[in-house]
Amino acid sequence: MSDTWPLNVDAKSPNDPVFVGIGEIPSGKYPQRTFIGDLTKVAILALKDAGMVPRDVDTILLIPCLHGFTDQADLVFSRMVEELGLAGHAKASFMIHSGGSTSDNAVRAASGLIASGHARTVLVLQCERWGSADVMEMINSLSKNGIPGEWELPTGVQFNAIGGLITQRYMASTGSTPAEMASVCVALRDWAQLNPNAMYRGKKLTVEQVLASRMASDPLHVMECPMLADGAAAFVMTSAENAKKRGLDTTVRVAGSGGCVSHYSIGQENDLAALGWATAAKRAYAQSGWGPKDAQFGEIYDSYAAVTTIAVEGFGICEPGEGARWFAAGNASPGGKFPCNTNGGLLSAGHTGVGGGTALLVEGVRQLLGRAESERQIKNAQRCIIGGSGGSYMDAQVLLLERTGKGGAK
Amino acid sequence: MTPPIVADFRAGLIRGELLVQKCNSCGKFNMYPRYACPHCQSESLGWQKASGKGVLHSFTILRLGPPEGFENELPYALGVVKLDEGVQLLGRLVPDADGEWKSYKCDERVEFAPMSAEHAEKRPCAWFKHAKT
Repeated sequence: MSDTWPLNVDAKSPNDPVFVGIGEIPSGKYPQRTFIGDLTKVAILALKDAGMVPRDVDTILLIPCLHGFTDQADLVFSRMVEELGLAGHAKASFMIHSGGSTSDNAVRAASGLIASGHARTVLVLQCERWGSADVMEMINSLSKNGIPGEWELPTGVQFNAIGGLITQRYMASTGSTPAEMASVCVALRDWAQLNPNAMYRGKKLTVEQVLASRMASDPLHVMECPMLADGAAAFVMTSAENAKKRGLDTTVRVAGSGGCVSHYSIGQENDLAALGWATAAKRAYAQSGWGPKDAQFGEIYDSYAAVTTIAVEGFGICEPGEGARWFAAGNASPGGKFPCNTNGGLLSAGHTGVGGGTALLVEGVRQLLGRAESERQIKNAQRCIIGGSGGSYMDAQVLLLERTGKGGAK
Repeated sequence: MTPPIVADFRAGLIRGELLVQKCNSCGKFNMYPRYACPHCQSESLGWQKASGKGVLHSFTILRLGPPEGFENELPYALGVVKLDEGVQLLGRLVPDADGEWKSYKCDERVEFAPMSAEHAEKRPCAWFKHAKT
């Protein structure tokens, strides 16, 4: 039996699910901002971007926060319905959660609801307060959750060690050098200089600086590890028919998706230099009918450089084993032939927990809609490859997005 | 209460043995141990003492930001080991004489290094060292 199948909708279907609006606020350390205030802000930004008001939304999907249980409970129990004035009007409000790949799965869920008719317009909301949370509490939370307590917690493993295990294997398999690995972080930092929402805008980075920083978890240097940040993002999806009715000529549709859940425990990943990326991409390409040569750019999960270099190889964007050297040659940087992580990624826009993937997704949609700041906007952005991953890189999720209509950046 | 599946594995470590779960129905090894065999769904599961020998798939040396309670153990090395039995696990690596791990490389042979009962009780995980050819 084949493990791929076509979508039930295409670009001509009235109920084809499409993105029509995005909203985001800057990532970084913002202790004066509030969780509900930020969520409200990005909700309104995304709706305005779509030419909508809250009453146009029938379903809210919540992307979880990791900074605290109480705020998460507010999301689960529909606080945002009340905050947005949708009490009695909203059909449903619920949470989707698969860690860093949540946004990809939220797109799948929203698409399914819209294509089937269970929803018409879905608002997806995300906010994280990691940057303002107690650092030790967050380290402990990340070291205890999502790691098998019976079998791996006694080893003392934590998130940077997981990044170190993947990076070591990747470097051993490909012969990539420390400088080549560091160049990935530098490429992302270069993009962050062009993104007003990025945590590290205004702070340039060099390969020498990365290599001179202390070892966190060999072979990972401190400056190759993500910085926890506050951040919030939102997007709106509706049916193609509804978008058309509302005069929204330029939208972004999901041409296909593919996924591969390759492990739960880091000690159970069969090949730490492969993860699930290649399998996920193969499935996505089979569904969409287009591949890496048809896309102009990518927005791929990057909490550690190796996670992304493995992905660009698995996606067929570059030759196998050449991901880090491909980045080092400037291919993914501003002005490069296949821009990647044009918002600066998690490593330079800020690691907003589950929101890191959401920010990349929103950036992909923004570029396709032609709404990035002019110096960052990719010319003639028609198709984008989105990559997400959750937990200990337990899964690889690929969304293939394409612009519809004549708008966008020329 | 520590579930028997965990208690049995840890008792092995305290005795100086690395146990892998073996399905009584299909004979396949499971690691980490499961509540039903992922191969045949049987709930009749037992243990076998592993050869302890395998290949180091990857490793890292944690130097900063350990989980609470591990502060006094820094730096320490973690490794993913693929056992000859065809299953794999995350464990710790025994340092070289200089307290570092410079001699370790991916894909090299390693073997289980039993710790004292006291140590295994405190940190119930498997340790590995270079295999004696």
